[in-house]
Order: sequence, then C-alpha cells, then structure tokens
Amino acid sequence: MIRGVIETSFVDWPGRSCAVVFTGGCNLRCPFCHNHPLVLDHQSLPAIGINEIMSRIAPLEKWLGGICVTGGEPTLHKELPELLAALRPTGLAIKLDSNGTNPRVLARLIEAKLVDMIDMDVKAPLDTEKYRLAAGNEVDIAAIRASIAIIGQSGVAHRFRMTVTPSLHQVADIIAWKKDMPPGSPLKLQKFRRGQTLDPAFAAAEVFSDKEFVSLERLIG
Amino acid sequence: MGVIMPLKQGKNPGNHFIKDDSTDIALFVRTTGEDITGWDRHRIVSALLRETLIDRDTAERISLDIEKTVKNGAIKTITGPLIREMVNSKLLELGLEDARRMHTRLGVPLYDVEQLLIQHNKENANVPHGPEATNLTLAEGIKKEYALLQVFSDDVADAHLKGDLHLHDLGFVDRPYCSGQSLEYIKKFGLNLPHALSMAKPAQHADVLLAHMVKFAAALQSHFAGAIGWDAVNLFYAPYLEDMSDRQVKQLAQMMIYEFSQQAVARGGQAIFSDINIYWEVPKHFVGVPAIGPGGEYTGKTYGDYEKQAQRFAWALFEVYREGDAAGRPFFFPKPLVHITEKLFQTEGHEEFLDLICAVAAEKGNTYFVFDRGDTAKISECCRLSFKLEQSDLDDAREPWKMRYSALQNITVNLPRIAYRAEGDDTRLFALLTEQLELTVKGHEQKRNFIQKLLDMGENGPLSMLAMKLDGQTYLRMHRVSHLVGMTGLNEMVKAHTGEELHDSDAALRFGLKVIAHMNLVCNRLSESSGLKLVLEQTPAESTAYRFAKLDLAHYPDQAKMMLQGNLDSGEVYYSNSTLYNVGAPMGPISRVEKEGLFHPLIEAGSITHIWLGEHQPDARALADFVVKTFRFTMNDQIAFSPEFTSCLACGRTSRGLAESCPYCDSSHVDGITRITGYFTKVSSWNKGKLGELKDRYRNRFNQ
Repeated sequence: MIRGVIETSFVDWPGRSCAVVFTGGCNLRCPFCHNHPLVLDHQSLPAIGINEIMSRIAPLEKWLGGICVTGGEPTLHKELPELLAALRPTGLAIKLDSNGTNPRVLARLIEAKLVDMIDMDVKAPLDTEKYRLAAGNEVDIAAIRASIAIIGQSGVAHRFRMTVTPSLHQVADIIAWKKDMPPGSPLKLQKFRRGQTLDPAFAAAEVFSDKEFVSLERLIG
Repeated sequence: MGVIMPLKQGKNPGNHFIKDDSTDIALFVRTTGEDITGWDRHRIVSALLRETLIDRDTAERISLDIEKTVKNGAIKTITGPLIREMVNSKLLELGLEDARRMHTRLGVPLYDVEQLLIQHNKENANVPHGPEATNLTLAEGIKKEYALLQVFSDDVADAHLKGDLHLHDLGFVDRPYCSGQSLEYIKKFGLNLPHALSMAKPAQHADVLLAHMVKFAAALQSHFAGAIGWDAVNLFYAPYLEDMSDRQVKQLAQMMIYEFSQQAVARGGQAIFSDINIYWEVPKHFVGVPAIGPGGEYTGKTYGDYEKQAQRFAWALFEVYREGDAAGRPFFFPKPLVHITEKLFQTEGHEEFLDLICAVAAEKGNTYFVFDRGDTAKISECCRLSFKLEQSDLDDAREPWKMRYSALQNITVNLPRIAYRAEGDDTRLFALLTEQLELTVKGHEQKRNFIQKLLDMGENGPLSMLAMKLDGQTYLRMHRVSHLVGMTGLNEMVKAHTGEELHDSDAALRFGLKVIAHMNLVCNRLSESSGLKLVLEQTPAESTAYRFAKLDLAHYPDQAKMMLQGNLDSGEVYYSNSTLYNVGAPMGPISRVEKEGLFHPLIEAGSITHIWLGEHQPDARALADFVVKTFRFTMNDQIAFSPEFTSCLACGRTSRGLAESCPYCDSSHVDGITRITGYFTKVSSWNKGKLGELKDRYRNRFNQ
C-alpha cells in the first residue's frame, strides 16, 4: 500500500516537521491533483514495506513532530489500521489526510485512537454537480457529509481544507462551503499552483493571485 | 551596434591618418598615449633598456632590424602594440625569453572587446550587463594577466591555468579578498578617508550613520574583492534609536535594506556583496563594553543596556525582509545572518523572534542561521566565510572599532583531479593533496608580499585607505589576516577514488572526512612553518565548480566524463561545491544537515548547508523547530533555506516556484530568482554549470 515516503516535510503539518508516508491509489480524480502518479500509476511505483518505513523514520524521531499518512487516499486500504498501529510505538503523533469518502473507516480509526490529527479535503460545497467537477468523479455527498460530522465531533485535532482554483471555485462557493462545515472547526484554503496536474488541461489553468487569495481567506476567517 | 559595425566591414578608421604622399617618407605611429608621432626607432631602444635587462648594443640591433622590416613592409598604419609584438618576436628569435617576458604587453584583442561590450559576462551573477560592468571585466582581464605574470611564480600560475588550483579574484590582485568590520569605526572616527574631498565628523543621527555606513561600504568595496560584512549591526545602531518611534525605526530598517540592495550602481555595476550580522541577545563579549552614541561620544552606558533597542531594530529589519521589494521579491542584499547561541534561548522574546526570522526564511528565504555553540563567537560574511573570534579578538571587543577582519586571498584545490591523478592509490592521493596544499601556501605568500608592498607605500600608495591609521594601526591589520584554502568537488573526488558518492555509503562519507581532516592537518602544519594563518573554507565556487569541470573534461576526459555532474550534451557540467553532497541526492533536510555538518568542525573559516525548498512554502514554525534542533543535535555551522520564485517582467508580479511563464498573466517574459551559491540572484544571469546544478537540486518533494 505504501508507495512513497519523505523523511522530513515542512509543509504538511502546521508547526511541525513531519515524515510523510504516501499510500497508492485514489477513488477521486481531482483535475488539479499534483500527486497523480499515486492516483493513476501507483502500481508501477515500488511498494515500500512497513519495516523499511520504520527503519527510515526511527533514527529521526527526536527531530520530528509527527508522521503524516497521505495518499492517494489512505482509507481505501484495509491495512491502514495496521499501518497506523505499527507507527504508534514511535511515539510520534500521527496525522491522516483523507478525502472523507469512507466515513466508517474514519470512525473506526478515531475510535481506536490511531490518529492524533485529521486533515480532510472537502473539494467543493456539498453540491453533487460542483463536487463532481472538483473531484473528477461522482461522489456520494452523504458520505462526505457523514465524514465531516464524524471528524467535527471526534474531539481529535482536525482541519477541513479546500484547494481553490478560479475555474472551479467562485466567491459564492467558498461562502457556501464554509456553511457546510461544523461551526468552530478550523478551515484552510489552499491555493492551486500550476505544475504537473492530473488533468493536463489544468497544468496551465488560471490561478488566484496572492491578493485574491487573501480576500478569499478572509471569507472563511 | 552602429558604432561597431563599420569596424567589422573592414573600414579602418585609422586610414585618414595615413599620408599617401610618397615623397613624405615619414611613417606615423599611433601610440598608446593617444597621439600620433613620427617613426623613431630610438623609442624601441629606450623601452628595451627601461623594461628589460638587455644591453644597449642588442637593443640597438633589434631596433634597426625592426626598422628595416617596417620600412620594407606594406604596413601603412603602425601602432605601438604592433611594434611591441614585433620586438617581442625578435627577442624570441634571439633566445631572450626573459627579456620578452618583461617586455610583454597586456591587453585584449579587438574581437574580444567587441564581444564583451555586447555579450553578458556570466562569471559572477552579481555583475549586471552595462558599461560599468564591461569596464570591470576589461580591467579585471588585464590585472589577471598581470597577476599571473608578475605576482605569482610560474608554478603557481600554471597550476591555476591548468585547473589544479583556482586563484580567486585574480582580477583584483591588488586588493585583499574580503572584509568584516564593526560600525564602531565610523561611529568613532566619522567618515574620514584619505584623499577624500570632504571629511565628516561622527554621525549625530541614525540616518546619517546609515549614510556613512553605505559610503564606507562602497569605499571598502573599492578596496576588497569580495564581501563586506558588518558585525552586530542592530546592537551598534541601538544607542541612536532611543528617541525614535517604532515607525521611525522601521523606516531606518527599510532605508538600510533598500540602500544596500539598490547599490548596483557602484563598482562595475555590482551591488556591494554585503552581510549584516544580527543578534537578538547582546553577545556576551559586548555586554560590558562602553557604548558609543551620537557624535562619537560614549553614552555612559554599556551595550548590555541596549538590548531592547537592539531588538527593536532587529525586529524591524526582518519585517522589511518579510515584505520584500516593491514587487514582493526577496531582497538580494544585504544578507542577514542571525546568530543562534545558547544565550539567545535565555533571552526574552526569542520564540517570537525565531518565528519571525523563520517566517522570512519560509516566505522569502533571506535568513541565514549561524550556529555559535558553546563559547564560540563568530562574525560571518561572504557566501559562507566566517571568522571565529579568538581570545585576542575578544580582548579587542572592549574597543570594537578594532574588530576588523580580512582574508587576503582564497585558493581552491581541484579535488576530483587529484583522484584522477592518483588512479585509486590512497598514498598517492594524500601525497598529491599535500603537494597541492604546499603550492597553495606559496601562492598565498606571493599575494601577501604583493599586498604588503602596496600597503607599505602608505598614504601615497594605491591602498592608502587600507593604510590609514585612525586608531594607531593600519586599517588592514596584516598581522591578523587569514589566508583561505578552499576545496571543490569532494563528492566527485570520493566517487572517483572509491566508486561511491558521499551519500551512497558510510564508507564513502568516512573517506570524505579523512580527506578534509588531512587538509585541515596539513594547513595547520603549513601555518606553523610559513607563519601565515591558513584556514580551510568552503569555497562558494560559483564559477569554479564549472571551470574545474570544463578543464577536467579537456585534460582528463575519460575520467571526468564519468564523474561530472550535470549534462554533458548541453555543456551544463559542474562539480559539487566544496564538501557538499550531490545536490540531487534524495536526502531529507535532516540527513543533509547532520551529514554535511560532520565536515563543518574541520572547516574553520565557515561552512553552510543549503536546503532547497522549491515552490512549496514551508510552515514557519516547522522551520523554527528544525533550526533549534539543528543547533542542538548537529555540528552544522550554518544553514539557509532557499525558495524559488518567478518574477514576471510583464506584469511585475512575483510567484512561487520556477515557471516557464507567469501564472498570473501567462507572459513568458519571466526570470527565476533563487540562491546561486550563497546569495539570491536572477537565474538568467547564471553560468552554465550552475544552471545544470539548478535542474538537479533535490527539492524534498515526493513527485520530483
């Protein structure tokens, strides 16, 4: 299931440097995705065993503030609880990134206290059509809604995030998105950047300027 | 172009000087003194007698021979340089090689000058393209030739030309390499330079002090080849800030940073390569030192009393760095070096300050984190050079205007070539290395003697500014200068010798450490025997890494092809800088600071680890945590985080990451901005080797 690892990241966890473990495979096809080899082509990436992960991360323990498990979509893997349980003895806090399409898995992980923080990417306001455009697939909105509720009430540190691009997200969408989130939950907008995107047409898509982005952030602030 | 084209079309602008009247047999000579004189062979004789050791009879004979050739030949306009070369050729014919050498002419072919005037010289990315820059390049070219002929012995000069060694800044042979100093000098003595048109008393106000600082820096730039560093800038400004509001302090910070970053109007159109050292705490060695304030008078307090004012200024400076310039780009100069010490962690407000300087590192990249562990104190400058303060310096600290440091010269050893020559034999490798270091010392002695000679001419000599004695000793304190011994391509040396790069195995790393330990040991031994203070430095090697690679491709093609980094086809080849690991090795920042840091204690004059960030903006608190842990857990000397930006020349906006076109307006009229070695520049000004390196840099991403 593991198809990549970064020993130290400064971008994945606010306030902490963390190791990042990437799982392969995703059930969404977000056109702006930058990690698409993990989505479309993960079978061709070398599989990395949990022992290798442990031996690479263990010597760094005193440096790191946590381990971030991301993907792809980690909750697609039956072995995810095993992986998280195996990482537990490191003593490092564990963060899970998820798209929230599997509320039952999220509930089980929270129940088993296998995660210390969850970042859920909510791609658009909870509207079937808008979600389909942003996620690149038909998505069961009820499942997303359930995940948001589970995470919001979990007592586990969390954020709801949305990557925004001018072609998919208007001001009204961002306002609607905010209303769909549980009151009091931390929210975070991420600015879409150009690069090697899943949908090649998105590689040169329009981006929000820093100024525009700051004004969008104010909408959710 | 219009001026130059007629030349290319073969119209000799000198033609109108030629008298076609056959009855007038006078031949006119265009002299280098910008006039035209009639032919007189005695000029040849007097030049030969003045410049060489040959006797009058031989000189007369040569001049007669030349006269015959000239008068029989079809030459219509004859120039001084041409006559000189004809005489040289005659001297060679007569086997008078020494005389030829003394009589030789330094200069530049017409074609080269034309190329220079039009094409951009990329040896130093800090030199823009323009008339001042061309002047600099031309002058450097001639002084370089002079240095290799006159200042250095043949074996040293040949080692440079072959690429065994690199003598840095040969075009600045008549200047020391770099200078680190204290503001106290101008606070105490005002701006009082020899032969200046006016003299200024010590500043009464902070903004006047800034004006003095900038001018003094420019004057220093005219007397040193490289970096101009300032110690504890925020502390030494503090006595001037007491009556200023936060707004005024911010304004002062802004003025300082803009002044230094916009100085690309000075020598050679080059910005002053300037560094400012900043402390949040009052460094121990300055706590009890009487403070100098407005008018150069003692304020009656000590610097220990100025902690809050110094912190206010440090804070304001970093606020300005965080904003960037008017287009949101990072400021290239002055480079802020923040000293991370034990005392910092005991000083109130250090968490907030660390957060701020890390936010600057994350957003703009400017901050350098200099680690002074235990009781070491340092003043840092240049790309990574730092001067460790010894007991005598700490004594000087009582009178901080005395604290001025200089390295006279830097000579870099081409390490991969030594491995090629050793052909796998350990003993031979270390013997060759020792031999190169001995040659390095010889080069240092020669430059030192030359500078000493200029300095001894005192206030009427060319280095009058460095000879001034406002505090009783010459500004350039020859008894305190150091001589830098650099290295390039340790990684490729290890690869050539052991088959593995530094990141491949612990054995390769151990061998690398053995090489640097050997260099350190030999330098210490040679320091004792020569009386010169020789210290190892990590050469920034902005162009040396490329030059050595190209020369090795020419002289050791079979081996070099296998060992070089970069792209052979495009010619973007390079060696890894100094003791740095392969920039493309898939190593996280932790292993990089740990492993590269193992070399740092062996390299006395300073080291750095670069962490290339690419386009993703890191979390400032995560960086702060990493910085603190680097201080606690490693031996690393200094780190900097380098983000990349795209600056759009069409819409003027700045975006993160290096892109082919502006993400905002789609214009392809863009320039990249990131660190080349130890400083930020525009990527369009980079040499080919560094462009190759840029493509290879590991940016700590999954999907690289």
